[in-house]
Amino acid sequence: MATYILSHPAYAKILLHAAKYPHAPVNGVLIGKKSNGSNSIVIEDAVPLLHMWTSLSPMMEIGLDLAGTHAEALGLQLLGYYQATERLDDTALAPVGERVVSKIKEKFSDAIALVVDGEKIGSGEAALIPYLPAGSSNTWRPQPANSNFSLANAKSPLRVLSLIREQSLHEKIGDFDDHLEDVSIDWLKNAACADKDFNA
Amino acid sequence: MVATALERLATWRSRGTRASEQTVKHGLTVLEDGGLKKLGDEAWNFLEQLTLASLDIGRLDIADECLEQLTEGFPGSPRVECLKGLRIEADNKPIEAIRFYEAALQEDDTNAALWKRKIAVLRSLGSQNVSQAVEELTIYLDTFYTDVEAWIELADVYAELNLYSLSLQALSHVLILASQNPFYVLRFAETAYTAGDIPLAHKMFLRVIDMDEPEGSKSNATKRAWWGVKLTAGRLLSSPNTPSESKTQPPSSDHLRLLDELATERLAESYRSTSVTPQGQGRDVILAWLGGRKR
Repeated sequence: MATYILSHPAYAKILLHAAKYPHAPVNGVLIGKKSNGSNSIVIEDAVPLLHMWTSLSPMMEIGLDLAGTHAEALGLQLLGYYQATERLDDTALAPVGERVVSKIKEKFSDAIALVVDGEKIGSGEAALIPYLPAGSSNTWRPQPANSNFSLANAKSPLRVLSLIREQSLHEKIGDFDDHLEDVSIDWLKNAACADKDFNA
Repeated sequence: MVATALERLATWRSRGTRASEQTVKHGLTVLEDGGLKKLGDEAWNFLEQLTLASLDIGRLDIADECLEQLTEGFPGSPRVECLKGLRIEADNKPIEAIRFYEAALQEDDTNAALWKRKIAVLRSLGSQNVSQAVEELTIYLDTFYTDVEAWIELADVYAELNLYSLSLQALSHVLILASQNPFYVLRFAETAYTAGDIPLAHKMFLRVIDMDEPEGSKSNATKRAWWGVKLTAGRLLSSPNTPSESKTQPPSSDHLRLLDELATERLAESYRSTSVTPQGQGRDVILAWLGGRKR
């Protein structure tokens, strides 16, 4: 079975995206690669897509297309999907999430979905619940803790909390919805939010 | 200090800006410097604004202080009742809040704000209460047919449940009630697309563009609509016999090709000025998509 490692920049962007729009559902995609030979999948980055009408598909389709091209140009591919909801205790993968991640799975058989666990954001633990398909079907099930999913850097959650609380970095992240309003917003890379210096 | 704070707060009140953190910051300045007296009758609006903002950021102590004064000033006022309900919600006691709203509605069932809070709480309780939320919204809309916000909420619930045709129906009421707002038409178009009615979506994306200022200040709805035109024209060109539940006739393929070109041109235009757009790859990815979309 495949194992998944989530990089610090990817973790940071998912949480910053959720923090920027606490009153709305948000979603995006995960990009990275599967290492040759071994079964380990490294999620290197996250591309935030929507916060406005997350249940509607036209802008999602375009955003997915663009994020896929972006990933290819970096020698990476689309690996999965992430979402956060406006309700702290709601950690179910939304129907639209099932649809998108199933579509990603057509091209990448080990596709994964991550749902932000609102109750854990303040705890210093990884505030994400991984979802994988049950058997070969397209029914997605939450995976137990200590499954095959881990953070590249165990300190990411605490670091991201301080980025939000002390530096208000969440105000700087932009998604595809934002970009559609203002083309100067660099939603594909979000260079300002990658927090690349943090490698403790 | 107090004067600037008051000015800011008044602007936010009139615009309905939800800058909660800043509102509380300025609000405290006003309270501490005894600015409440200077406000006269505006004091009540200020207190209401501060209550809402403090609830937003979890400063329940400030909210309680404001509520005390408001209750004293307006015992039994429907507006204050609504704030009290919100205060119960802030304690994370949804069931109690619903009971509170129901009791208040028995006193006065014409209070739309209380109705809507009750529905919002029902929605927040998650999937098992959604059908009750839909039911309540439908009853509410029987009485308050012209409430655009509530129709949008209903459309939103249906979309969340994957019931896109019903969502579209709710939005058609919105278009009847508020036909001049391009964002509603845009939302209708995106919902039609999601429901699988590509010809209808295409037509509505074009309508958004028609509605907007001819030149100059183009609204964000227009930018988004051009993306929609590009997407739907591409879909209709690659499969001309796409079904349409609304029996909308798509334009001829010659016409579609022209629209596709026009959309490409309009979208590329906004990326041409290198001073505002991100350099390098972000821009390249988009220009490549616009130029070479497979059909």
